[in-house]
Amino acid sequence: MKSDFSKPQRQSLVGVVVMFADTLRGVIKGLWPLLIVWIFRLKDYDKFSVIAGAVAIIVLVAVIAYLKYLNFTFFLDEKNQEFVIRHGILNKSRLAIPLDKIQQVNINQSLIQRIINVHALEVDTAGSSKKEVSIRAINHDLALLLKERLLENEYETNDDFTSEEGEVKVKTRSTEKEHPFIQISLLTLFKTGITSNYTRSFALLFAFVITTYQYIEDFIEAAGYEEDTLDSYFDPELLLRFITFIIVGILFLTLFINLGRTIIRYFDFKITRKQNSLLLSHGLLSTKSTIIRPEKVQLLVIGRNFFQKKLGIQDIRISQAFNQSTNKKQLQSAIEIPGCDDNERDTLLKFLLNKIPEKGVALKPSIRKLIFMIIKSLVIPIGVFFFISYLSPEMRDYIIFLPIYIIFVGLIVFFSFRNYRLFVNNDFIIKKGGAWDVDTQILAPHKIQGISLTQYFWHKSSDIGIVTLHTAGGNLVFGLTNYTKLKELTNYWLYQVETTDKNWM
Amino acid sequence: MDTINNDFTNNVIDTASLPKFEEAVLTTLHPDYKKIMYFNVGIVYLILAIAIGAVCYFNEQVHPYIVPAVIVYVLLLIITIVFVNLSFKNRGYAFRAHDVIYKNGVLATTTTIIPYNRVQHVALHEGILSRKFGLAAIEVFTAGGDSSDVKIAGIEKEQAESIKQLLVGKILKQSTPNEE
Repeated sequence: MKSDFSKPQRQSLVGVVVMFADTLRGVIKGLWPLLIVWIFRLKDYDKFSVIAGAVAIIVLVAVIAYLKYLNFTFFLDEKNQEFVIRHGILNKSRLAIPLDKIQQVNINQSLIQRIINVHALEVDTAGSSKKEVSIRAINHDLALLLKERLLENEYETNDDFTSEEGEVKVKTRSTEKEHPFIQISLLTLFKTGITSNYTRSFALLFAFVITTYQYIEDFIEAAGYEEDTLDSYFDPELLLRFITFIIVGILFLTLFINLGRTIIRYFDFKITRKQNSLLLSHGLLSTKSTIIRPEKVQLLVIGRNFFQKKLGIQDIRISQAFNQSTNKKQLQSAIEIPGCDDNERDTLLKFLLNKIPEKGVALKPSIRKLIFMIIKSLVIPIGVFFFISYLSPEMRDYIIFLPIYIIFVGLIVFFSFRNYRLFVNNDFIIKKGGAWDVDTQILAPHKIQGISLTQYFWHKSSDIGIVTLHTAGGNLVFGLTNYTKLKELTNYWLYQVETTDKNWM
Repeated sequence: MDTINNDFTNNVIDTASLPKFEEAVLTTLHPDYKKIMYFNVGIVYLILAIAIGAVCYFNEQVHPYIVPAVIVYVLLLIITIVFVNLSFKNRGYAFRAHDVIYKNGVLATTTTIIPYNRVQHVALHEGILSRKFGLAAIEVFTAGGDSSDVKIAGIEKEQAESIKQLLVGKILKQSTPNEE
């Protein structure tokens, strides 16, 4: 099934529908203030002109969509090694991307695209390119083929690179065409869904409940009731039952939302190995696919909490090198692989890092960190509470919550201090941290871009400090800990970075 | 990259005998740069003083607060001057064979080290005022994002130029074997 990309070609004809949807969305986005005015004054116009107007707009949009479709062509210029896109109805533009500048090719599918069975192909380039190139409608086989052609160049250089490194094993494997790697089942997603993101969902719901409560209070006040009546409406038993009901409700809602979110996002999660890279695809409503290439991986995070540990699953988050212009967006969207079991984790790590990282010598945080954490999250908030209740006596009613707060936060502080470790060996820097969700950050020394050592002046006498390892996929921060040891490690890491022949990207 | 030896050896590395970054002698900034720092502080406080003066002039109600306002203003000015002095004193840089070291900070001293083989590009900045004094700033960019980029101000123009040449040379030397 060799397809010819050397001649300019259009997108799939059904793609007109996608173009139509895109243009319509654009029109609505641009004209919404006008549209709202029209809708409100709908009665004033007679039916005929309203329908005629709507039809005119739709026809116009359809014509534009069709013209867009006609004028959009793409082809592969073999001679200049460029991927060329021509588009524009009145202002014609020609976009040429040198093949070796292409970083990533993603094939995605939105809901509309899914209905008419086409895919979007997005080309991500290196450098300061804010406008991504995207083909909005292309059929699946063609998309895969084009993707392969676009990335051919990359693979060649990769093979060179790996053979330089003497990774014969990887190279021989890369000759196998396709290789199903990891598949996350619905059951695993279910397990992940009910065990992850408690904190975030809880905070969200908590905010929601508080705003609703306030809203109801405001409403009652506005309705002209006395302030006290709200309290006297409820007898204590009813109130207690009501509170329990709300708490249980929140817990169930949290679980439910998490479950839904996880399944919609990660449904049918598949990882396939393609030559030297991994291809991830997932999604229930819209399919997303991403490519991970081992050299591009900067930071790897393995996250698991107590329940997930018992179930033997964990999430893996992968940060790849990002463009400087888009770093914030990219940072948030680290690639996530939910619910890997230990075997899958090891296979992945082995593929991405060449070997399974072992924990080296542990570096413990200084006891001053514990003291600092206690002051920050216990002493200061409690102090503020007492100060406020000194000023306004009504706050004293809430004093029963104080022991709960102390126990809760105290446990978090204790566990996050106990889990906080930095393991260093020749090949990896591993940081462990977190109280409930324990994250393990893994970094290979040759990915380091720069090292910062920070010390506040009151830390000098006790010889402690903070280290920040900058990578192209985010930072790894560890502190407070023994400063002399940190300096020693910094010298060692610098030596490793400055003498390495490995590519960081 | 060219930093490896072709004769492969794999001796145990004695971490204690590695070159120590903390022993590198840091160059302090050019004394004229302190004047620029003072000048910048002066401008900010001048604008502040004019604003306060204008408020006092047009609004009679604030007159009783003039004395405390002046006291706060003077206190802030003194603190700022102390900070500028400390900040100037704490800054220092060194260009070693394989990396650049930059130290700065008043309450927290941060030492940032960037290996040359991780530098993406280098920029040379010249402000209006620094040009009068013949000074320039060197900014070293890495792929590690804003937090790891280093900007060293207050270097003599000629020196800055030669540092830039040195860095550019290092980057080119690093990347040529890669490009092919």
